[in-house]
Amino acid sequence: MRKRILLTLVLLVATFAGARAQNVIDLIIAEALAVPDSTGIVDDYGRRGGWIEIFNTSQGTVNFAGCYLTDDRNNLKKSLIPKGDLRTKLGPRQTTLIYASGEGKDGTFYAGFRLRPGSTVYLVSNDGRTVIDSLVLPKDLPAGLSVSKQAFDLRQREFEPLPDPTVPSPGIPNMDQDAASKAQAMAEKDPHGFILSLVAVTVVFSALAILWFLFWLFFDRPAKKKRSPVIPSITKESPSDEIAAAIALAMDMEQGGDVYAAIALAMDLYFSDTVHDTESFILTMRPKESAAWNDKKQNFRKLPR
Amino acid sequence: MEHVFQSLAQFWEYTGFANCSWQNIVMIGIGIIFITLAIVKEWEPMLLVPIGFGMIVGNIPMFPGLNIGIYEDGSVLSILYQGVKQGWYPPLIFLGIGAMTDFSALISQPRLILIGAAAQMGIFGAYLLALAFGFAPNEAGAIGIIGGADGPTAIFLSSKLAPDLMGAIAVSAYSYMALVPVIQKPIMLLLTTKKERLIRMPAPRQVSQKEKIIFPIVGFLTTAFIVPSGLPLLGMLFFGNLLKESGVTRRLANTASGPLIDVVTTLIGLTVGASTQADKFLSAKSLLIFGLGLLSFVIATTCGVLFVKLMNLFIHNPAKKINPLIGNAGVSAVPDSARVSEVVGREIDPKNHLLMHAMGPNVAGVIGSAVAAGILLAFLG
Repeated sequence: MRKRILLTLVLLVATFAGARAQNVIDLIIAEALAVPDSTGIVDDYGRRGGWIEIFNTSQGTVNFAGCYLTDDRNNLKKSLIPKGDLRTKLGPRQTTLIYASGEGKDGTFYAGFRLRPGSTVYLVSNDGRTVIDSLVLPKDLPAGLSVSKQAFDLRQREFEPLPDPTVPSPGIPNMDQDAASKAQAMAEKDPHGFILSLVAVTVVFSALAILWFLFWLFFDRPAKKKRSPVIPSITKESPSDEIAAAIALAMDMEQGGDVYAAIALAMDLYFSDTVHDTESFILTMRPKESAAWNDKKQNFRKLPR
Repeated sequence: MEHVFQSLAQFWEYTGFANCSWQNIVMIGIGIIFITLAIVKEWEPMLLVPIGFGMIVGNIPMFPGLNIGIYEDGSVLSILYQGVKQGWYPPLIFLGIGAMTDFSALISQPRLILIGAAAQMGIFGAYLLALAFGFAPNEAGAIGIIGGADGPTAIFLSSKLAPDLMGAIAVSAYSYMALVPVIQKPIMLLLTTKKERLIRMPAPRQVSQKEKIIFPIVGFLTTAFIVPSGLPLLGMLFFGNLLKESGVTRRLANTASGPLIDVVTTLIGLTVGASTQADKFLSAKSLLIFGLGLLSFVIATTCGVLFVKLMNLFIHNPAKKINPLIGNAGVSAVPDSARVSEVVGREIDPKNHLLMHAMGPNVAGVIGSAVAAGILLAFLG
């Protein structure tokens, strides 16, 4: 028994640890600049230098505190992103900048190394071992240009490195700014809406037709009959059919179809055992859930409807 | 004394009388009409009373900046409205709908599922028309969903695709749902012959408890794998149904189908009504949306009835023919449209009870409209 509990606890811990790791792996190094030019951005100390842009590709907030940045594959814990700073929580599809000032103690968003052309920057998970993402800075990277990864649509999770250095865009999500939204694209491709309608109708029909097929295949058969109470056998002499027909005719003339519905309902309730909780002919009285003295219902004025 | 007059004049500026416009009066009038219809005619009172009163609440003229309006951050109404805006009321309503829906009628006659799919043509018919009237594709998609005759789905999708049009779309959807008997009956009579209306369908077979339990699981897996974007609605619908049918979670099912859905229906009705603030609601666009909404209901009903007639062409056994009067029930206004089938059917043959047959396409319509919403969200969201 203890072993089972222990195993369950281990599984739970593993699950939650996995969930946390999964959170952090949604981060990518979206852009990096090694050598700024005179128009480059300055950090909080007024210095111009390289920087690394981290982007959260997920639809949830990711806290990257405790993760590491490094430019040395053999030293993955080179620069720790400190814990305890609320600003390390990165919103969905948001970016943040880490200044590669070489002085990690300058603040939360400062890396303890400088970027140089030809180096590779790694983002390492908070376990200090798993490389989440990396970005290679070419040796011939000109000053004032950055390397970046871009997605056509920000909802995509896959970002492709751009082959050529680009004009830096620190703090701005890297996407094709001219890319049309889905609705705009649809307006261009299918201005009258026929294609979408056709596809959508096909999908709706397919989904429900599959459901129909599955139930037709496996379940569309009469349910097994329940054992019905023993009915006295009718002798050949008794004109049962004629009597039944006469009764039905008389009831029909007398009452109309509602009586049939009531009889059918009563018989269905009887045979399906929904009236009796335990067995036939025994009626169970359910105890009241609350006594009269604390029953709120009894204190309210009863309205006719 | 002068100070008193100044204070009174200042107070006057805060009153509804000083800030009133004719648009506010019109919207308050519409709200009162909704409440009257609900109480006197008993047309969808659960929906029209909260929406109607919400309209009055949202159109009380007031001095802006007091943080009490539905569009002012931090106000009570604004906080309650988040459930509509962010789209988390509709799935909760679907949970309740699932917990109170009996899918037996559908399981016993799986072929009726297809009628629920055919009636979704109303959605795409309205989508095409909205595009033709110059709406953007995302707006057209949100307008089209009115044809699903499903208020929560309409709110869910419009909150994602066209939040600006949500008030008009929601009010339109709920209004036409209340008017289902008025809209559908003439179309049903127009499209069917007397002989067709007299068709008696075989009694549905008894459905076992095992089938009822398996249905929400298989139904969810099938539809959600095809249209994952419909997950919030489909997941909640089938989850609610599993709570009901499993037999071991009666308390949860009772809560979902009782207090929970009542609370959410009250809040969604009130806030949707209050969101129809005159300056944001009274526009030519809203009128156009109402017109398109009506057309979508007409198309949905027409397609449902015609599809049954088409099915009958392929059914050679006369005993297995389907009465086309249940075709209208393919829209997901549960159980109103099924009730219309019953009433119209009994008008010509008082002993022909179509209600249980119509419930099949009716609940299939709920699934179909959620699937359609998922597709529109995937393509246009």
